[in-house]
Amino acid sequence: MTTLEPRLPALRRIRDIGLLPILLVLLAAVMIAAEPRFLTSQNVLNVLRGSSFLIIVAAGQMLVLVVGGFDLSVGAVMALTSVASALAMAMWPEAQGATAALSIAAGVAAGLGCGLAFGLLNGLCVAFLRIPPFMVTLGTASIASGAALLLANGVPVYGLPTAFVAGFGRALWLGLPPAIYAAAAVVLLMWVAQSFTRAGVYIFAVGGNLQAAVVSGIKARAYIILAYVLCSMLASLASLLLTAQIGSGQGSIGDALTLQSIGAAVIAGVSLRGGVGRVQMVALGAIFLLLLNNAMDLLRIQSKVQAIFLGVFIVLVVAVEELGKRREQRD
Amino acid sequence: MTSMPVAANAPHRLRQSPRVLAQFMIAILIVAMLAGFSMLEPNVRSPRNLLNIAVQASYLAIFATAQMLVILTRGFDLSLGSCVSAVSVVAALVMTGTGLGADAPPGLLIAAGLAAGLGTGLAVGLFNGICTTWLRVNPFIVTLGSLNIAFGVASIVSDGRPVFDLPEAFSALVYGPGPAGIPIPLIIAVALCLLVHVIATYTVFGRSLYLIGGNPRAAAVAGVATRRTLVLAYVGASLLAAVGAIMLTGRTGSGEPNLGGSLLLPSIAAAVIGGLSLLGGIGKVAHAVLGALFIAVLSNGMNLVRVDGYVQDIVLGAVIVFAVFLDRFRAARI
Repeated sequence: MTTLEPRLPALRRIRDIGLLPILLVLLAAVMIAAEPRFLTSQNVLNVLRGSSFLIIVAAGQMLVLVVGGFDLSVGAVMALTSVASALAMAMWPEAQGATAALSIAAGVAAGLGCGLAFGLLNGLCVAFLRIPPFMVTLGTASIASGAALLLANGVPVYGLPTAFVAGFGRALWLGLPPAIYAAAAVVLLMWVAQSFTRAGVYIFAVGGNLQAAVVSGIKARAYIILAYVLCSMLASLASLLLTAQIGSGQGSIGDALTLQSIGAAVIAGVSLRGGVGRVQMVALGAIFLLLLNNAMDLLRIQSKVQAIFLGVFIVLVVAVEELGKRREQRD
Repeated sequence: MTSMPVAANAPHRLRQSPRVLAQFMIAILIVAMLAGFSMLEPNVRSPRNLLNIAVQASYLAIFATAQMLVILTRGFDLSLGSCVSAVSVVAALVMTGTGLGADAPPGLLIAAGLAAGLGTGLAVGLFNGICTTWLRVNPFIVTLGSLNIAFGVASIVSDGRPVFDLPEAFSALVYGPGPAGIPIPLIIAVALCLLVHVIATYTVFGRSLYLIGGNPRAAAVAGVATRRTLVLAYVGASLLAAVGAIMLTGRTGSGEPNLGGSLLLPSIAAAVIGGLSLLGGIGKVAHAVLGALFIAVLSNGMNLVRVDGYVQDIVLGAVIVFAVFLDRFRAARI
């Protein structure tokens, strides 16, 4: 049997790269040609800043998808993190003698603590109680958002230290917001982990074939829990960055990010069946979603119409990739 | 030797019993909750409130039954809430004269509104079904897409505002008290649930749902018309959602672009709490109905004993996880 390769090497290369980077370049090219405001440094910075939050959350979501799960609680964990960290910081305000560093440390600890707690809860329920991840995270989402609203009584929490807001969240380091550095670091670390470390390889093995992984002596449960914990903590990290930028703790901070993070991962080729996913592609997926949003904003497409485009688009990208995969299998 | 049959039987019975127990458990829990809440607040068990709970559960039972049709096939319908919103505003707009003119006779307006609402549901269902079967996109992604699309449509056609001034006869038709004082939503819900039960239990389509959910490949090999069944399942789910949307529209008395905003999660939760397996292939309409009753009793009770709304979220979340934990025993049977 001979394999049917596309005749032109260029065509083959396109197939290897995948649809997403091509679409990304196309969209950017069209926008540069059509809309002069697109390439201004302010706009590019906006898109990058917006996508860096989604990149961090989607990278975590990818880990959970890779072990064959789902995390519907990332948005709610973000909300809880935002409120809890803001309350912790407001509890030790600079005025009362505490240093800004202490106040910020308390806030960050409270925020990441929420992520850790919910990640453990999700992971333990999935790995040990074997509850379907969809339902576990649906339940914990309800718990976390309820707790966030309860803590803050449904109103924003003010009183964050200026060192946290002006000095960090809204600051520019070498002309770029800190969130971008954070996103780049997360992607880089995860790329290193998935390519070179044992834990990275094992997480993919657990998602690819759980039984084979268990038989090979991999502590599958530990890696499943690790994936959920990392996912929740990354959501917390994104939430801390976003809270620092907004300047107050918000109980509604992550509303849209749950489904967006799954969307970004899926258009980047992460399989919902587990075992497949590359963090660099997920980052591209997140940038693409934000770019699409930005392009539609600049072209003055109403946000309501944007929702329709986004819906059609997600289905279309996945459909085309699915088609490509089937053709590959046939070849 | 004489002990052999017993030993051989025992594991079978053991495997069966938790499932039966879990089925009773949810019914027992509902009664226990009612008893507990009425000790704290006697009004809970007043006939009026019990009827209230039944009506509240009616809507949720319809949505949970809709969800059941697709969950049986190992799918999901994330678009249910948005579909409800879109149906509500489309039906309301047609009933208030968009298309026919406000002078048309109310009977005709209502009929056209109902048709437009059901048509909207049909369109969403066809989109979901066709994308999952012919384009082979994962149902999660398809319905995530249609969630956005239906949400966009709902807010565009209504311009984000509620549609008021529905014909008075409409509310009477789908909300008012019916014969013998039984609320109409309850009658519609019972009729629909019975209908779906009969379809799921006695028709080829219904049995195919279970086969596909139990083992998709085996079902296809056995000659089940997989694609047609799946499309019909999604269409059925969206049509049920549309009926529920029309009933809710009659209750609020206006077309609401945000009517279904918080319906998605309870619809799945009710089905699963009642005993539907998320792994597909296992579940009955009775499960969806019991789950809906469970959530209705829980939230009604918490409201009457004045539990803070935010705390209610936390309780509901914990209950979902716990209920599905019980589901594990049923899943273990497979």
